[in-house]
Amino acid sequence: MRSRPKYPIQVLAAGFLVLVFLSLSLFWARWVCKSILVDNMPMDYRTVNITASELFPAEIESDPNVLRHSVVHAHIIHPEAPEALGIANYLSEKALERYHSRIYSFDHENKEAVFVYFDGRTGQINCRWADFEKMPDGTLIRKKVLFYVGPEGVSEIPDKKLGRFNPVVIDFGSTPLILYDIKLRRFFAINFKDRIVTKGPQLSEDDPHWPVDIGILSKNPGVLDIYWSSPDIKTSQNHKDKALYSIAGNILTRERNSDYDSDQYVLVLDESGRIDLLDRETLEFAGPAGRLPAPETFFPADKRVTPDDLLAYRVLPMALKEDHKYRGLIAATVSREGTALALSVFDKKGACFESEDTRAKNSIGNRNVPSSSAVFFGTPWSPAITIGKFLLENLHPPILSMASYFTAGSIEAASGHRAMFLLPNSFIAMKGRDARDNIAVRFMYALLLMSPSIVLAILLAICLGKDATIVGIPRKTRRWWLLGTIAFGLAGYITYKLTRPKITLVTCANCGKPRRTDMDKCHRCGSKWDVPELTPPAWRVLNG
Amino acid sequence: MLTLIRREIRDNIVYFIAAVVFSAILIALLTAATYNLDWISDPAVYVGLSIPMLVILVLGFSAMGVTQMYIDRNRKISAFLSALPVTRSWILAARIVAGLLAILTVLVPLTIAVIVMGRLIAPPIPIFAGYIADILTTVFLMVFACYCLGLLTGWTANKIAPTFGALGLNIVLVSLVFVKGFGPDIKFLLVLVIVACLIRTWHKFMSTSL
Amino acid sequence: MNDNVIKIENLVKYFDGRCVLDGINLTVPRGCIYGLLGRNGAGKTTIIRILLGLEPATRGRTFLLETESTNLAPKIRGRIGCVAEGHNLIQNYKVERLIKLCKDLSLQWNDESFDHLMKTFRLPKDRRIKDLSMGMRAQLNLSLAMAIDPELLILDDPTLGLDTVARRQFLELAIEVIQKQNRTILFCSHILSDVERIAERIGILAAGKLVVDCPLEQLKERVKKLRIIFPESVPENLYLTEIINQQIQGREMAITVANWNRQKQAILETFKPSSCTEIPMSLEDIFIECTRPGAETVEVA
Repeated sequence: MRSRPKYPIQVLAAGFLVLVFLSLSLFWARWVCKSILVDNMPMDYRTVNITASELFPAEIESDPNVLRHSVVHAHIIHPEAPEALGIANYLSEKALERYHSRIYSFDHENKEAVFVYFDGRTGQINCRWADFEKMPDGTLIRKKVLFYVGPEGVSEIPDKKLGRFNPVVIDFGSTPLILYDIKLRRFFAINFKDRIVTKGPQLSEDDPHWPVDIGILSKNPGVLDIYWSSPDIKTSQNHKDKALYSIAGNILTRERNSDYDSDQYVLVLDESGRIDLLDRETLEFAGPAGRLPAPETFFPADKRVTPDDLLAYRVLPMALKEDHKYRGLIAATVSREGTALALSVFDKKGACFESEDTRAKNSIGNRNVPSSSAVFFGTPWSPAITIGKFLLENLHPPILSMASYFTAGSIEAASGHRAMFLLPNSFIAMKGRDARDNIAVRFMYALLLMSPSIVLAILLAICLGKDATIVGIPRKTRRWWLLGTIAFGLAGYITYKLTRPKITLVTCANCGKPRRTDMDKCHRCGSKWDVPELTPPAWRVLNG
Repeated sequence: MLTLIRREIRDNIVYFIAAVVFSAILIALLTAATYNLDWISDPAVYVGLSIPMLVILVLGFSAMGVTQMYIDRNRKISAFLSALPVTRSWILAARIVAGLLAILTVLVPLTIAVIVMGRLIAPPIPIFAGYIADILTTVFLMVFACYCLGLLTGWTANKIAPTFGALGLNIVLVSLVFVKGFGPDIKFLLVLVIVACLIRTWHKFMSTSL
Repeated sequence: MNDNVIKIENLVKYFDGRCVLDGINLTVPRGCIYGLLGRNGAGKTTIIRILLGLEPATRGRTFLLETESTNLAPKIRGRIGCVAEGHNLIQNYKVERLIKLCKDLSLQWNDESFDHLMKTFRLPKDRRIKDLSMGMRAQLNLSLAMAIDPELLILDDPTLGLDTVARRQFLELAIEVIQKQNRTILFCSHILSDVERIAERIGILAAGKLVVDCPLEQLKERVKKLRIIFPESVPENLYLTEIINQQIQGREMAITVANWNRQKQAILETFKPSSCTEIPMSLEDIFIECTRPGAETVEVA
């Protein structure tokens, strides 16, 4: 039996376990607070409507018979963002025909159907296609063909000469399939029917375009909904029947109608948040289409947001059924915390002519308060729950809270909802993303937000220091413990309690204070060992 | 060492038998689910089946870890064994190996069944690529981590601490799956949790009196 | 090569703030039969548990076969046979299974010797340990300890629960072990007649200290009990040191003295006692005298 295996290792082991369990427990407690806060958000905190959009032809929008102008509507469906939790996120990522899926097309009702998928081993796209072959007697026979697609072409047998696609971004819904190869820095259009691969021009290293999404631009689509409501126009017919009929059938939106595929352009989202148009035929950029709007957060952040800064976004290009011409787009985004939504409408040249955020009415009844602030203080019980959330954040290790401040902008928004150790959605991280104030003022404010955590850590460190002195822990070790407790707060203190040497203390006959039994001398007064309660006899019968 | 492992297996044979039975039940359920439902189901169905399975596995093996240590502590088995030419490290290592074997008794047949089922009924495209490996690896690591928590909390003379302590910690740890999913994050975290638990268990076992 | 099979250096042990051992120093040379004695709670079992590495020492170090007790390798443990107090065996095992376990784990196993012991003790192999009587468990424990031909045998109250016949059998066994070259025994027992029969060296624990540590014969020579009659009254102070115990009744005094020598004899004679007779003491008598709490002067009416 070893009496003291390596102390630092067992402290680290115990500390890690404490950190994991404490972080997990606090995570769920904060999740409950956040869920209650966002569940209590009334609908008007989560909804934005923009009316009289200029995307619709003016002759229709300005028709004197218009009863209700067209409305662009966006609302947050699930502010608590269950999709952001790890398990939902994992399953949705692996789901067919989703953003990260390698299976681009597959009919799971029919085993013999067409499929298209990316084979990571070969770096090529494998496709099973159904060709129809006309027989001499005129009948058509369905023939299944398997072929392989690479950057250099198509082949019916696997062939290394076809080249290799690297990580790609795919427009799932388009025909031909358009993809962007991140490493090769070029677009490809794959026509499976004609077995043609069209290459776009290679983007140079200093080209400002860095696409991250093509076609159906959306992230966590379950979090928000966006649609275009066409104008309601009174006709003699419907007015007579006292019913209103709208002319919804003329409006096409990207996700709802595959007829849109025949349009000239595909939307491309850049890593900077800019949206560009890509010509389907030439596979070249055809100009800007707009950009992701920045929702107004609790502490106002940068006006320019990137896809990583947003919990969710959806972009809908607009066209009319008659001409399929691109007319502009509507883009809605949800902030990191899921408490604010921004909606913007862009024309066909990419100029924003309408933009709106979710706001709440203040006590006067004006819509002046951003929803990201109103959610914390504007609904019943929300102040108490906000304080609860704030205190729970302050139970987190101060060093990790400080790290959250410094890494506030660099963690992807959705993964922030499942972060355990860093807190990208905490008040301190929000302050870290505050675009106002200079660095020093921002930092002081952050320290103020962390003050309960710092006070707690200091108090715990004082208790620990006293206990460590009583127990006789060496000065160097005691300093490490003090630093560790100030850095890790409650987790550090609990770790100390768990790994504290279990030493019996007895009263020193010399100084009267508790002393360790496993030391020859009293660690306080230095006096030698004495056991006054035992009274052995003075005599001894010893050999030699 | 083999003698100690055999001893542990024999002493905890109930868990091994339960593992075999549970594995058989799971394979039967999996076969039934696969052939009765659409041949590619909504992943939510598998998640729905997985959750009670995970709970039973986690609680079962955590109980095994608690039982092994609690019985040893209270019946002074290690005190007896320490008088023989074995070290405490060997006793603990044999215990952990036995636990690991019990877990593999459930998971290995299940994995084989899943792979075979996949080969038989899956379409010729990698629909389940990554799913099976990720989920099974995560389940294995989670169950082993909970077993290690059982070992850690079981080494006590108190009855309440290992029961409720292990239960509470297991519930918190299993919730990690909901937070992190089945990706590389959770695997890394679980490996660290396992290592930390084993270090703490080893220290407790080595330094307390028998 | 260090010939001390057991070595204890400045051993201190506390249990929850209560000191049990206060600086024990002890060595047991190879081939010695050492009887460790003490009253209940004196710390005998504690010393053995610390020696075997079952209990951590608060301070100090202990060595078995030149290896520190905290680092006993299996090869060293394989050379040590142990019969623990209370006969701690795995209760729910059957005898046969326990025997197989010990046999498989042991480095060496003497089948002949073990079978002979099992026959002698008539132990049933198909019964569970918890169903055996205390005596049978003691016999089994002993048999298991002896079967490995141990170089060092540690016996903590091994005859606890044994009937007279079994006790005699055990003693004969112990003597058999003694006769093997270089075998060492550390033996704790409350049946001092047994200890006296086989022990060469005696240690007595009292008040956390090892107050006696010497060969048995030397002990009997050095600890003397005298009955002294004085012509008039007993002197107030005999100026004798190392008085273990004294009882005064009128002119008569019974005194037990440690390390009796000529000098003390001479001091006594200066008081011109009427008579001075030595009361022979067995080991049990010496033990009782030595472990009475404090040096007493008792006046008996």
